[in-house]
Amino acid sequence: MENKFTVSEFVAYCNQTLEYAYSGCVIEGEVTSLKTSQGKWVFFDLKDEESSVNCFIPVWSLRVALEEGMKVVIRGTPKLTAWGKFSITVQAIQPVGEGNIKKNFELLKKKLEKEGLFDAAKKRPLPRDLSKIGVISSTQAAGYADFIKIINERWGGLEVSVCHTQVQGLVAPDQIIRAIDYLNERNAVEVIAIIRGGGSADDLACFNDEKLVRKIASSRIPVITGIGHEIDESLADLAADVVASTPSNAAQMLTRDKKAEISNLHDNIARIKTQILSRIELVNNDIKLKTASISSRIISAIDSSLNEIRSIYRVLDGLNPENVLKNGYAIITGKIKVGEEIEIETARKKLRADIKEVKEKK
Amino acid sequence: MTQKISEKIATLEEKVEWFYGDEFRLDEASKKYQEATKLAKEIEEDLGKLKNEIKIIEEDFSKES
Repeated sequence: MENKFTVSEFVAYCNQTLEYAYSGCVIEGEVTSLKTSQGKWVFFDLKDEESSVNCFIPVWSLRVALEEGMKVVIRGTPKLTAWGKFSITVQAIQPVGEGNIKKNFELLKKKLEKEGLFDAAKKRPLPRDLSKIGVISSTQAAGYADFIKIINERWGGLEVSVCHTQVQGLVAPDQIIRAIDYLNERNAVEVIAIIRGGGSADDLACFNDEKLVRKIASSRIPVITGIGHEIDESLADLAADVVASTPSNAAQMLTRDKKAEISNLHDNIARIKTQILSRIELVNNDIKLKTASISSRIISAIDSSLNEIRSIYRVLDGLNPENVLKNGYAIITGKIKVGEEIEIETARKKLRADIKEVKEKK
Repeated sequence: MTQKISEKIATLEEKVEWFYGDEFRLDEASKKYQEATKLAKEIEEDLGKLKNEIKIIEEDFSKES
């Protein structure tokens, strides 16, 4: 006997089959007939040149700035409604193509900027002397390999905890969000580094996911992003505390450079040597100056004593009888009485003379 | 390596600063210089020896917890 269903049973049976066969299917197409109902539901059609399917997503799980005509890729599950209408319940959606990605970026940036999500005042500096780093990346990615290589080249003694996640595609944002939650809940790292090497705009589109951007902005542990190349900018970068231009640059920003430290050590020791020599020279100069000052004071004391002696000599010289005689004076010895013989001494001669007369001076 | 390298570097920097400060004494300089060179050598050796520990967390982030 043929299987007979009620309509409801048939719809439920179809949904069971659809969910089993196509759960999480990924479809690319252009958004048309976009409308929001009661501020809660977003409906749109996804179409290509020949076909079109209805899509539905709750507003709260929409994480891109969807626009009419935007080319997107969605992940969802097909469903037959109770009214027999076929639609896809969308779980994740991402714009496709550089133009659409850029548009989504600008629209979301504007919205999140208004909320203050990218405020410079909210940015925290990287802790100094890090010892525990949390990394969120794909361990198979070249960017991750670069990051680890540079970290190992530059510094040692670090504990690096790596959360392996997808870093592109529709599933990447949720995986990265779970990894951020995991690291925040355990609080065992001092910084979270989100690492992804270069890629096309489509590859990096997951870093413009609104929910991921909000999660980065609200992380208790500071976040550094090293995503893509120098020229790439994502909303994740804008929400992070610190932005590195590449994975290698992130590794440089997180670690001190061993080689530079060793060179600094040598410089320091050389500086000390020079400083000691310069201090010795200072002390030498000081000693020289003091010695010169002492010598000068001794010489000056000797000079002053010599001058004193010279002046005493001059006084004594003036009192010397010989010098008096030289000035024309004479010394008379003997009794000053008429008829007495006296002796007269001049500077050059000694004379004997008789006194013939003695008169009192008036 | 009981003391962290960063702490040793900070200690060395303090020792270097002593040579430029007011507390500098020529009669102590030789001893302090020897201490600084010994510490610098120790840091250089530590830097050469230290390896990073890279641990891949065994959590499946593709699944909702």
